[in-house]
Amino acid sequence: MVSKTEETQLNRLENQVDNGGGGAWEYLCLVRKLKVRRSEKVLKYGLSILNDPKQRSALGPEEWTLYEQVAIAAMDCQCLNVAKDCIKALLKKFPESKRVGRLEGMLLEAKGSWAEAEKAYSSLLEDNPLDQVIHKRKVAMAKAQGNISGAIESLNKYLEIFMADHDAWRELAEIYVSLQMYKQAAFCYEELILSQPTVPLYHLAYADVLYTLGGLENLQTSKKYYASTIDLTGGKNTRALLGVCLCTSAIGQVSKGRNKEDKESPELQSLAAKALEKEYRQKADDKLGLLTSALRSLKI
Amino acid sequence: MVAELKYEISQNAYIKLVLHALKHKTTAVNGILLGRVNPQNDSVVEIADSVPLFHSNLALLPSLEIALIMIEEHYGSKGLGIVGYFHANERFDDAELGIVAKNIGDHICRYFPQAAIFLLDNKKLEALPMGKDQSPVMQLYIRDASKNWKLAGPDGGSRLVIKEPAANAVLSDYISSEKWQDVVDFDDHLDDIKKDWLNPELFK
Repeated sequence: MVSKTEETQLNRLENQVDNGGGGAWEYLCLVRKLKVRRSEKVLKYGLSILNDPKQRSALGPEEWTLYEQVAIAAMDCQCLNVAKDCIKALLKKFPESKRVGRLEGMLLEAKGSWAEAEKAYSSLLEDNPLDQVIHKRKVAMAKAQGNISGAIESLNKYLEIFMADHDAWRELAEIYVSLQMYKQAAFCYEELILSQPTVPLYHLAYADVLYTLGGLENLQTSKKYYASTIDLTGGKNTRALLGVCLCTSAIGQVSKGRNKEDKESPELQSLAAKALEKEYRQKADDKLGLLTSALRSLKI
Repeated sequence: MVAELKYEISQNAYIKLVLHALKHKTTAVNGILLGRVNPQNDSVVEIADSVPLFHSNLALLPSLEIALIMIEEHYGSKGLGIVGYFHANERFDDAELGIVAKNIGDHICRYFPQAAIFLLDNKKLEALPMGKDQSPVMQLYIRDASKNWKLAGPDGGSRLVIKEPAANAVLSDYISSEKWQDVVDFDDHLDDIKKDWLNPELFK
């Protein structure tokens, strides 16, 4: 998960390298640090460094990190021969390594040899039953084979042990959403918000799920979480601002004719609408008309 | 009895959707089909344009609702309406029409009963550069009398056509030049409203 500033920095660096301005190693390190998936670029630029003996030796011990990074990128791009060569180089340097053993398992996955990969991972787990990466590879394999319920089961078991793994909670939430199991997805986001209450992404995702679930209570809570997202992002998050407006409209629909005691104060949505109009006027002025009529149709 | 409908998609609408799917190879993506019934032949639905929607969390409502409002508003003023839905599954070998796609399709059918779903055919897409096939790399789904989504029958090949016969050749070119990088979807717009989901410069 990356912030906007980090993403801008990464894209700037990527453009620089793309246009021949150098900085490939810096780029590869940043990709590694941010844990983003830019496999085509990593493969291209990583290989160009590895294939140049001068550049390769200039890396010192980092050379082996690069082999690992390129191996994984190659597998992602289905360039299995490149992956094999990288793994071979790593095996030569680190013959008994479990870390390289993992890569070999991943190569079996990339080839589609599920049973062999399963065997390889199981034997690695025997020696190291708490290897988080391997546990997650098993979830990934289930998902890749279309066994979504198996993936959910494994991921739930994983989270019972490694409950602080935020990426795993997010993955589980997204799987639940794709199956329209919104209540279960909501639970995942609740866990995330509890452990990292100042991360706006979780508030936003939780609000989206609650809105999708519907019903007066969920809509009211959803609105609160869109509001907290606005708070945590300094009012700059378009999705949260729109979310407030959507909730207000939906709450109005659902509570038509009901007790007006809980009448909501209109300030929040009118502020959100104003903020949206200001943003669109400044940055997407040709779409301002569409925004205003959308807000009008939501009766804001 | 309803006459068998034919769906004719314009080259740009078609290419935009496939490029969008290629831009986001690791996730499911979806899009909206804009068009109208052919005024001279009401057994043909013309898809004049498409809007790529999302590449994450396709089953969440808030962004979808906003997108549909804005898309309808924009295209309504041009005499075009939402006539269908495009979906590409996350996995290469998943050729099933999933529940999310069906639900969105059902929703669109409320406003345009002859709406269709186009599902990306990954195997056909993979074979694209190697062949001279002019048929679209998509499968056509329509609702039967009991409102269930069904793959268009054995003659389905002729019910979904691309208006311009050379479209696949153009698409192959774009794929070689990695043109998918330039496609903007609604997700991109919501993350940065400066990005335009109408993709006005894409085919210039």
